[in-house]
Amino acid sequence: MSATGERQPMKRLEATRSLRSLIKGYYDDLFRTASEGRPSAWLNVGVPCEFFYAMDIFPFYPENYGAACGALKITPQLSAVSEAHGFSADLCSYVRATLGTVFSGEGPYGELPKPTLQVSAMNSCIMIMVWWRAVQRHWEVPTFVVDTPLVRDQSEGINLDYVESELRRMVAWVEGQTGRVLDLERLREVVRLSNEGKEIWSEVLDLRRARPCPITAADIFTHMFPMVALRGTPQYVAHLRALRDEIKQRVDEGFAAVEGERYRLLWDNLPPWFDLKLFDDLAARGVNFVIDTYTQAWGPRYMGPIDEVDPLRSFAAYMGAGFLNVQIGRRYDLLAELVDLYGVDGVVFHSDRSCKPFSLVQVELRRKLQENLGIPGLLLEGDHNDQTLLDRGRAWSQLESFLEVIDGRR
Amino acid sequence: MSGRAHTGEPPAGPGAMGSAHGASGAGAAALARLRSVGTDPLSELAHIKERTGLMAMGYFDSYLPEELIMAHGIVPHRVTVSGRDDPRSHEFIQGYACPAARDLLEQALRGDLSLLDGVLFTRYCDSLRGVFAVWDSQKLSPFVDFVRYPTVVDTEGAVTYLAQELQEVSARIARALDAPLDERRLLDSIAACDRKRALVAELAARRATRDLPLAGADFLAVLVAATTMLPDEFTAALSTLLEHPPAGEPGDAVPVVLSGTTFDNIALAAAIESAGLYLAADDLSTGSRWYGIRVGSQPAAAGETPTDPWEALARAYLTKPPCSVKEPSSPRADHLVGLVRASAAEGVLFYLTKFCDSEQVEWPFLRDRLAREGIPVMMVEGDQKGEGSGALSTRLEAFRERFELGGEDS
Ligand code: SF4
Ligand code: SF4
Repeated sequence: MSATGERQPMKRLEATRSLRSLIKGYYDDLFRTASEGRPSAWLNVGVPCEFFYAMDIFPFYPENYGAACGALKITPQLSAVSEAHGFSADLCSYVRATLGTVFSGEGPYGELPKPTLQVSAMNSCIMIMVWWRAVQRHWEVPTFVVDTPLVRDQSEGINLDYVESELRRMVAWVEGQTGRVLDLERLREVVRLSNEGKEIWSEVLDLRRARPCPITAADIFTHMFPMVALRGTPQYVAHLRALRDEIKQRVDEGFAAVEGERYRLLWDNLPPWFDLKLFDDLAARGVNFVIDTYTQAWGPRYMGPIDEVDPLRSFAAYMGAGFLNVQIGRRYDLLAELVDLYGVDGVVFHSDRSCKPFSLVQVELRRKLQENLGIPGLLLEGDHNDQTLLDRGRAWSQLESFLEVIDGRR
Repeated sequence: MSGRAHTGEPPAGPGAMGSAHGASGAGAAALARLRSVGTDPLSELAHIKERTGLMAMGYFDSYLPEELIMAHGIVPHRVTVSGRDDPRSHEFIQGYACPAARDLLEQALRGDLSLLDGVLFTRYCDSLRGVFAVWDSQKLSPFVDFVRYPTVVDTEGAVTYLAQELQEVSARIARALDAPLDERRLLDSIAACDRKRALVAELAARRATRDLPLAGADFLAVLVAATTMLPDEFTAALSTLLEHPPAGEPGDAVPVVLSGTTFDNIALAAAIESAGLYLAADDLSTGSRWYGIRVGSQPAAAGETPTDPWEALARAYLTKPPCSVKEPSSPRADHLVGLVRASAAEGVLFYLTKFCDSEQVEWPFLRDRLAREGIPVMMVEGDQKGEGSGALSTRLEAFRERFELGGEDS
């Protein structure tokens, strides 16, 4: 088999075109905000942008920016800059890429404007906190950490009270830094739009259950952006609606994103942003990743609808039990549920060297899935943002062998 | 920094104090006992269990209050890094989990920790969190639990929350191990632990002034013994050592502060000192960032008397000099510089454990801060294993020679 054998080009979603202008508009806003002297905030994905839209503070997500660097394959260059400043090459590749931009002013959009403030939440990883810390010390940006102690599977009782109190502390701090007051009614409006979009996102994820599956993993990963950075805005709802309608039409027409869909696989962890083509190449073998765990982090199980009556409590409950803030038991239950719902033949565990919280449970998850459900798993060594850490040839032959394992089970 | 000649001879003072003929009498016997526990803590645990018939609970980091375990009539045991090479963790967790965390898992997989009736984790770092997941999933000890620990350490909210959380954990220990909490024992444990930590602090202070220039390797053994022996026995042994210090003169080894996370490798410390350095003080999570904890002297929150022991525990552990996994971590740099000054150290040896995310980010800032203070620093990256290498000795000797040349960069 050839990794790049002759085949029809993949049919891309029409919505991808409008996504490009959405992203461009977002970055234009970022620079306009800075030039007009309006406040902006660097947030990590665990911090709800809804609060910031409600306070008219521009929310910028460096993880999203990092992924853009990955897609353009410039992480190694930017990493060299951060390494020259003494930061280890073993740090998460998002961190190395972003710090490289912060130190050098180089990157896909040139120099990034210095934010008014930064907020991070502890519900992903320690790396986020120390990443923000590095930026805080270099740029002297006021920085706030929302504490969300690791939980087993839910945030409840004293833990939920604590996370809620942390959110209140965050709001008061942001108000103090910017002089902008959080108007609860305005927050509710943003939440309403956010909820609407989340419901559509949930439908999009659900539509992937169709046989054949209407979209590829590359499609869905590409369309993460509005879920991360635009929740609560009208353009986010409009975009998701168009995306959902297009996918639904594909399902109605029986459209197969992967011709002759033969292997329905699950992708665990972040994708290799620098090599989404991997998914296209695999499509030539009849492989489609019909579902993944990464986009679930924004799905109804981990980021469901916010209660408009008591939004802070509701945000706290989701943040406290965020996707990476719960234990292996819940990760396993999710995998088992998705395997069943999506008719999955096997799981590719992308062992992302950058991301310890996502990856360090995978060996155990693979074992449990095989033992309990007889579903085979492949541990694929790589990285989500640094192409020098993926041995493409080796990965390809591992994937081929894995498909043989699945064939053997049929 | 004043330069001075170095004879090139092995350091006489600290080294001599550690030698068989340099020590005599009660102090020497006490030192021998502490050293033997420090180099083989699990044998000591076996003796304790045999003598007392008590259960034992392991823990892994210095944010876990051992008093909580003692209050249930259970022996706390900080599991130290064994430093042994053992590939078996690879069957359970990826190689980019930090080697110190993997070492703990390997000990459990080898069966070395079968004496433990349970273990308690905190979130601490993402590598330990991965180890917790495997431990929990594989049920590597009869009882496995974790404290939903705060990361933010400088708020009243965190103190209140941790105080409540410790009580919830206490209730779970009581239920799972049929070991009820004894309030009186909690207070006694706090007093006993405060006493032993105060004695370790006294030893550290006397080492810093060279009044009692115990070798750094021996001091590490004392640190391990402190969290292994029963507190009263440890206190008795250390009191004897302090009252009857074995004879020894400070040699001309260059005094440095050892900075890092955990560091239990006594042989490696000895190797460092044999390069002509004297580990005059430590900035370790299991050393000076631990022995300064005084629970009993914690002030009550405004308007409250007397101090609730749980709140005192929470406050004392949260306000100790922070590790880089906590927020804010900035007081750590002041702590380190303070140690350098108090011990008249001429430089800092920063031991960076491979794949330790938070230390990797802390390092460039500590380096720059030390540079501003005019304090030379050398970073050594390692896996906390082995007894040093030729390459390490060469680097250490080069570092020492800087001081002979007048402290200038060489
Ligand atoms: S370590 Fe993982 S969760 Fe943390 S910033 Fe990197 S990719 Fe995100
Ligand atoms: S050395 Fe660092 S990564 Fe390893 S266990 Fe300690 S804090 Fe965690």
